[in-house]
Amino acid sequence: MDYILSLIIFFPLVAGILGFLVSQNSIRIYGISVAFIEFMLTIILWIGFNGNTDGFQFVEHVTVISHFGMNYHLGVDGISLFLVILSTFMTMIALIGLNIKKDVKNLIISVLLLEMTMVGVFLSLDVILFYLFWEFSLIPMLYIIGAWGSDKRIYAAIKFFLYTFAGSILMLVGILYMGYLYHATAGVWSFSIPDWQLLILPFNTQLWLFGAFFLAFAIKVPMFPFHTWLPYAHGQAPTIGSVILASVLLKMGTYGMVRFLLPLFPDATIYFVIPIAIIAVIMVIYAAMIAYAQEDMKQVIAYSSISHMGIIILGIFAINAEGVTGSIFFMISHGIVSGALFMLVGCIYDRRHTKKISEFGGLAISMPTFATIYGVMLMASVGLPLTIGFVGEFLSLIGFYKVSWILTLLAGTGIILGAIYMLSLYKRSFFGEITNEKNRNLKDLNGRELAALIPLVVLVLVLGIYPKPLLEPIDFSVKKMIVLMEKKAVTQEAKEFIVKVNSIEGGL
Amino acid sequence: MLEPISIDFAALNITTLLPMIITIVGALVIICIDLMTKELSRSFYTVLTMLFILLSLGTVFGFNGYSRGFFDVVLVDGIALIAQIIILVTSFLFIPLALGKRRFQEFAMAEFYALFLFMIAGFQFMVSSDNFILIFIGLETASLSLYTMIAMHNRAKAHEAAIKYFAMGALAAGFYVMSALIFYALTGSIEIHQIAQTLQARSFEPLVAILAGTVFMIGALGFKLSMVPFHTWTPDVYEGSSSALAGYMSIVPKIAGFVVAIRLFEMLIDSGVVWLENILYICVVLTMTFGNIVALVQEDVKRMLAFSSIAHAGFVLSAVLIGTTEANAGLFLYWILFMFANLGAFTMLWATRHRKNLWDNRYQHPFTKFSGMIKIMPAYAVVMGIFMFALAGMPPFSVFWGKLYLMSTAVNNGFVILAIIMALNSAIAIYYYMKLVVYMFLKEPISTDKDAYSSNISIALKVIIGFSVVITTISIVMIEPLLEIILNYITLSGF
Repeated sequence: MDYILSLIIFFPLVAGILGFLVSQNSIRIYGISVAFIEFMLTIILWIGFNGNTDGFQFVEHVTVISHFGMNYHLGVDGISLFLVILSTFMTMIALIGLNIKKDVKNLIISVLLLEMTMVGVFLSLDVILFYLFWEFSLIPMLYIIGAWGSDKRIYAAIKFFLYTFAGSILMLVGILYMGYLYHATAGVWSFSIPDWQLLILPFNTQLWLFGAFFLAFAIKVPMFPFHTWLPYAHGQAPTIGSVILASVLLKMGTYGMVRFLLPLFPDATIYFVIPIAIIAVIMVIYAAMIAYAQEDMKQVIAYSSISHMGIIILGIFAINAEGVTGSIFFMISHGIVSGALFMLVGCIYDRRHTKKISEFGGLAISMPTFATIYGVMLMASVGLPLTIGFVGEFLSLIGFYKVSWILTLLAGTGIILGAIYMLSLYKRSFFGEITNEKNRNLKDLNGRELAALIPLVVLVLVLGIYPKPLLEPIDFSVKKMIVLMEKKAVTQEAKEFIVKVNSIEGGL
Repeated sequence: MLEPISIDFAALNITTLLPMIITIVGALVIICIDLMTKELSRSFYTVLTMLFILLSLGTVFGFNGYSRGFFDVVLVDGIALIAQIIILVTSFLFIPLALGKRRFQEFAMAEFYALFLFMIAGFQFMVSSDNFILIFIGLETASLSLYTMIAMHNRAKAHEAAIKYFAMGALAAGFYVMSALIFYALTGSIEIHQIAQTLQARSFEPLVAILAGTVFMIGALGFKLSMVPFHTWTPDVYEGSSSALAGYMSIVPKIAGFVVAIRLFEMLIDSGVVWLENILYICVVLTMTFGNIVALVQEDVKRMLAFSSIAHAGFVLSAVLIGTTEANAGLFLYWILFMFANLGAFTMLWATRHRKNLWDNRYQHPFTKFSGMIKIMPAYAVVMGIFMFALAGMPPFSVFWGKLYLMSTAVNNGFVILAIIMALNSAIAIYYYMKLVVYMFLKEPISTDKDAYSSNISIALKVIIGFSVVITTISIVMIEPLLEIILNYITLSGF
């Protein structure tokens, strides 16, 4: 088990390169097999993971460039474990659901490379290594959107690439400055996150560094007003691209916030809690309103993604165990649910070659199974209790309630708006009589699609009813991080804030 | 009556000249062979040239540290050695490009190889001296050979390029001489270290004269390094000369220029006179920003690479501005990594060189030429994509590490604003490199005729491309040993 993390990262890479040898007609099954083995590796990781300790586990450490302290440093804790499993799981599901025929070999190799970068981002403990994977993930995604997307795919791909690249290049300056500060304080070069977490920075420095890191993450999430690339990318990307983008790539941004902003710059984080929360609330409400106005089914889900990411950010910046744990759980649940929804839109698009809601109507009559699964996912997306969507959303909001009840209330209206646009989407497409004759003879879901979707439905229900196996390890790591933040905070206000939001009214 | 000068032969320390002597002898040997027989093929001359370069490289490795020789005008210190190594290795890797499948007139002529070796010797002299006159001789030897080699390509564009380069180069030479003259008039010396001492002794007075000398020198070196606003020759000359030579020009003359810049400007920056630093700061920022922005609108890949090489030069010049040992190490590290990526990119262009301009009347390598290359020649498209991302500074490919190191030295030495400008420039640069990737991977092919792309591919070219792609991809493991070596050489020379 010692090198399991390296194995998880580099298995898709090797498999992807070897994939060039596999012939076109077998490549789909090859891709699924590789993704399945990879998923099994992460399950083994979960089994081997000790949920009762709070530090990093399975740590690997090899010096690569000693002159500026770059190490090959990997590790996993409760925060990253489930995101890794989510990445491998959703890649596998997306590959099962894949039905593109054109140049499918290049596509599958790109997806495998993308999988490597995703798990690499979550498992890296060295910031340079993190940055490597973070940036490299853009290349396969550029290719996936640009080569297999719809009409305006090249514009969408370039926009996606430039936006995220421009954001993260400033983070690189931040990383280097942080490395310099560490060197100035500790006397040795290090870019390792556990080392950095011990570094106490003056307040003003924190503000600048916070800005550099935050911008990169905000663009990736994407936060209002940097969200404009996302609807394009989703609108043009092929189904598999949307699924991976929504379920995993966006989570890289929020993961970065939890991993870097909170423990490294506690004072700056707390200083910015209210402004960021306001932006997050704007995101929730504004994106929900735009979603309601969309004519295109995929755009509705794309904007609902932005809206939900707002709640995740709200949870993170609650800085208490409930909020952060809830938002990490919400990242996972949103990954599953939005991935499933994009896949469902892909199913109907394959049949009708349109995503316009007005083209549909009465789909429940011709495609009952499809309508059922769609309904379950929709409810999960809205956050119905006993589905996976409820747990994270509720915890995130309850966490932020301790910071500001009024903002929480406003964010809560986002949920109501969410119910409105989702249910109206469902009503217009699935209920009523069949108005468009083309919809009458549509085939219901086939075996391949069911194989991809049923595991997601099961997860939505099981984890919605019993989320504890996930929540407990996450909670362990989050609590440790918050204790660390409290210890590290240099300003009195920050310390008081942390104590306040982590205590129950009336007693400590 | 003049005193008779008697000098002990041993005091000349003639071994310091050995690397240059070998390349010059090599050139003479080639000329002599050509006099005797005209039958020999280009492969013979190419390999012979490579062997002489190897020999010269071998003698360079023999030095360790600081030695002066030949009436103290030759100075073999750490940066001279590392620069010579870069020059020789680059030349060694570029000369096999003569062995493409198609026959070009210049490579059939033995003079080309002789000139090539003379040029190397010129650059070697240029980097291993701190005497203004010897630097000038080296510079002119190298430049004159290079002008001729460009013209030997024997196309209308090539002649234009050669004449343009020559005219601009002559102007630059004039600037250089003016600058040397001013410094001589001020200090009575033409050796940089003595100039530095004299100027230090009288605390850099009179400022106006030093300003004039510096400005002329920036003009002169600016031409070689294609700094803005002295860059105007670059795109036309690159376009006119063969891709092989253009790639070579983007690396070797510049490293020689950098070494002179390090020797001179670091002395001036150490003076603590603020405006000297400011002038250089402005030049650096202008060069990288302007190069990047103009590269955005180019329609020809080669011209795009020309402007991008201007931007890269600006990026690297920031090391001269920062001026610490780490920064200088960063300069050489960056340039070595850049060399491999650029070698690959230009070799790819060279390999796709076709007799006719099939795609555009004006340009040889318009972006449209590479449309949908992934469908026609997937392996080539992937390789070219790697080179483009490497040049753009995407991790984990080679140039990223140079960028990282330079930016980190900028941050460490208090140039945070500069580091941010560098970062923003990288963000601009990604766009035009990605443009080629977009054409290759995302657009539909125009013609599916494979031969149109592979007319010049030969084993030699494949080996070079393969070699550079391997180095570019696995450069992460080379950084540590490379830095070790570079830092070692640089600390030896005290920069």
